Amino acid sequence: MLKPILLVEDDPRDLELTLVALERSQLANEVIIVRDGEAALEYLTRNGEYAGRAEGNPAVILLDLKLPKVNGLEVLQTVRTTDPLRSIPVVMLTSSHEETDVLRSYQLGVNAYVVKPVEFKQFVEAIADLGIFWAVLNEPPPGSLRTRRRHE
Amino acid sequence: MSALPLPDLAQCADEPIRVPGAIQPHGRLAVLAADSGRLLAYSANWPSEDAVRQAVSLLPADAGRMQPGTGPSWIGSLPMAGRAFDATAHRQGDCLVVEYEPGGPAAGMHAPIYAVARELLPAIQQADSVNALCQIVAREMKRLTGFGRCLVYRFDADGHGEVLAERLDEGYHSYAGHRFPASDVPAQARALYLSNQIRLIPDANYSPVPLVAARGEADPSGLDLTFASLRSVSPVHLEYMRNMGTSASMSVSIVSRGRLWGLISCHDRAAKHLPFQTRVACEHLGRLLALQIQAQEDNAEVAQRLALHQRVLTLVALMAETDGTLQRLTKPDLALHGLADADGAAVVLNDSCWTLGETPPPDEVRRLAHWIAARGEDLFCTDRLPELYPGGEALLPACAGVLAISISQVHRHVVLWFRRELVRTIQWAGDPRKTLPGQGRIHPRKSFESWQERVRGRSSPWSPAQQAAVGELRQALIALVLRRAEEMAGHAMELGRVNKELEAFSYTVSHDLRAPMRHIAGYVDLVMEDNGDKLDDRARRYLAHVKDAASYAGQLVDALLDFSRLGRAGLKPSLVDAQAMVEDLVDEVRLQERGRNIVWELDRPLPRLWADPLLLQVAVRNLLSNAAKYTRGREPARIRIAAVSLPEGAGLEVTDNGVGFQMKYVGKLFGVFQRLHRTEDFDGTGIGLANVKRIVERHGGQVWARGEPDRGASFGFVLPGQPNNNDAATATQAHGAPRQEPS
Repeated sequence: MLKPILLVEDDPRDLELTLVALERSQLANEVIIVRDGEAALEYLTRNGEYAGRAEGNPAVILLDLKLPKVNGLEVLQTVRTTDPLRSIPVVMLTSSHEETDVLRSYQLGVNAYVVKPVEFKQFVEAIADLGIFWAVLNEPPPGSLRTRRRHE
Repeated sequence: MSALPLPDLAQCADEPIRVPGAIQPHGRLAVLAADSGRLLAYSANWPSEDAVRQAVSLLPADAGRMQPGTGPSWIGSLPMAGRAFDATAHRQGDCLVVEYEPGGPAAGMHAPIYAVARELLPAIQQADSVNALCQIVAREMKRLTGFGRCLVYRFDADGHGEVLAERLDEGYHSYAGHRFPASDVPAQARALYLSNQIRLIPDANYSPVPLVAARGEADPSGLDLTFASLRSVSPVHLEYMRNMGTSASMSVSIVSRGRLWGLISCHDRAAKHLPFQTRVACEHLGRLLALQIQAQEDNAEVAQRLALHQRVLTLVALMAETDGTLQRLTKPDLALHGLADADGAAVVLNDSCWTLGETPPPDEVRRLAHWIAARGEDLFCTDRLPELYPGGEALLPACAGVLAISISQVHRHVVLWFRRELVRTIQWAGDPRKTLPGQGRIHPRKSFESWQERVRGRSSPWSPAQQAAVGELRQALIALVLRRAEEMAGHAMELGRVNKELEAFSYTVSHDLRAPMRHIAGYVDLVMEDNGDKLDDRARRYLAHVKDAASYAGQLVDALLDFSRLGRAGLKPSLVDAQAMVEDLVDEVRLQERGRNIVWELDRPLPRLWADPLLLQVAVRNLLSNAAKYTRGREPARIRIAAVSLPEGAGLEVTDNGVGFQMKYVGKLFGVFQRLHRTEDFDGTGIGLANVKRIVERHGGQVWARGEPDRGASFGFVLPGQPNNNDAATATQAHGAPRQEPS
């Protein structure tokens, strides 16, 4: 059984485009969708709405940077400082070229940082690459978490 | 006299002048026990001890009740050997010292002291300066005493003397303007002048008369004669008088605020005795003068402080109207040096120096200012710089005195005033017979030379009022500088705030403007891919426009964000080999323009530039792709990359044979989103050259463009060299004021 991909995205249009892209990359993983940072954390820590879900971490978290309630950076920080979550690969998906965001994400231990390309074709390619790498190819041994791959 | 050995001048200052054990021969002296009236001693010029006893028996009974520590009082006129003698007496410890001198005619209401009060006081009250006072007193003193020459002189803080006023008879040579060193009046003589304020030597060629003990009494040679009018004076002084050609002399002390301010000194070629009454008048005159001087000095001080205060206010008011940079103080019309009565003034700010009037060379001023700043004092004041400052000798004679205020030690911001060396400013006309031989070993001429020797390397002193004024100026300037700094800080804060807003704005643009562009492009793509076959050609063309427009808008947003980032990114300069960089970029552009016939011409070698490698690459790539873009359609296209070397620095120039531009639009070229061509002709966001300009200016360099429609264009830039490199330093200086960083 493949671990699911956790997609954290608040914008419905981006959500749909990302789903199309994931669909086109033909990944077999289930995609769990949450719409804000709080829900993401609840899912990950099996609290609130997700208190009853089965145990197990997602294969990868595709995390939008700008999110309502708890933003992407905060989610990332919590993931990296919470023991059972620490080793989940996190890919930051964002509209922002903003250096401070990039820098901060890497400081917090993001595995990849993707600025969503304007061209849809490129976007699909990026998502497909990411999905394949993190959800299929990569079974990170503990300690290899700092492996960084950057798509732009 | 000539048989006597000359006294040792070196021991002059040690001579016990208060206890000479002898008196001058123009009077007689008797020493009595104050309580019993017993005769203890007498001068050897009495006819006999019995004559002494007979004379003292005539003294008033209460003579012994006088208080010690005051000068002689007149106790009567006594006939002796057929002449009237003035008897004066004073207490000295347990002794009563009685002096007898030949008396003058009984003066009554015509006594000289009344004349002083009657004639002198009104004149003195009208004198408006210390100098005028001294002139009046010199004249009056001469009239009172009938001496041939009468001088008033003043001692400075070091005890050096200066003749302020003089009255002469025909044939006496002038000492006006004479200066003499402190050592001319030794310390113990000064102390004596403070106690006993008058001294008369009627005849410098006298033979001292020793004191002898009365029968059965102790040796009187140790008796303190401080207050005795007849006290025998130092042989050194007598030698000095004889060398000056003076027989009689009288000195009256001018004591102001407990300090020996100066002396009134009278000389005559002939021996001259002054009766007690006249001496009292002279002493009185000295006291009057001292009082008036004190008042005049106080007034002058107050007036000077007030005037200087006014000048400081004016200066500060003028400064407040300017941009607050202190170098404006040296504008000639402000007459900054006048504030401290200086010969020159300067303002130093770190390595910059502005001067006014007579000053040392700017390099020296700078060195001195840095030395002063390093002392860490608010106010630096000296009238003898060479004694304090290493290398100060070299600044003579233009600068011996320095007054300086330190505005900021962090920035070594110093305002300085300079004064010339004093000996260069004062020349004593002096003794007309100066070449005459045989003046003896001590003489005024030699005194002047000796004084010149002692005050070498000195300026006239800075008055307390002047020091206070520059201190006040310092406070005001600091307030001014602080105010400017606050204003600047305010601007900086405002700028910082605006920058923050701008950042927040670009952040918003980057997220919120970019996302819809992406959505439009993305969904149009999806429609075209999924349902493209169901649309007719027109609908597909429309959708293609929608998508292009969205993509273009997205590129614009990205370009704008890049541009804003260029302004904020930190510079990490290093030496960049332009040759290698340009070759790489040419390869890159060739690849992009595959299939075109472009002739590249590169100068070899291209310079090494001091720049941030990434940013420089962005700038040069822009210039090269521009050149490639605007030569489309040329067969062949020619692009030449030339090395540029200017005083401002080194750089590159890219020249093409493309479409060019009209020079009247050159100002628009480097603006953001400025385009000179239609998009159908040449694509692009119109931000490339703005990026080039921003990058070059952030390096402190300059950009330029030249062009002619259809004849091609040249775009070039120069960057200043590496800061530590000497060539580069000159290049940087040529830029003048630091450029404001684009934000």
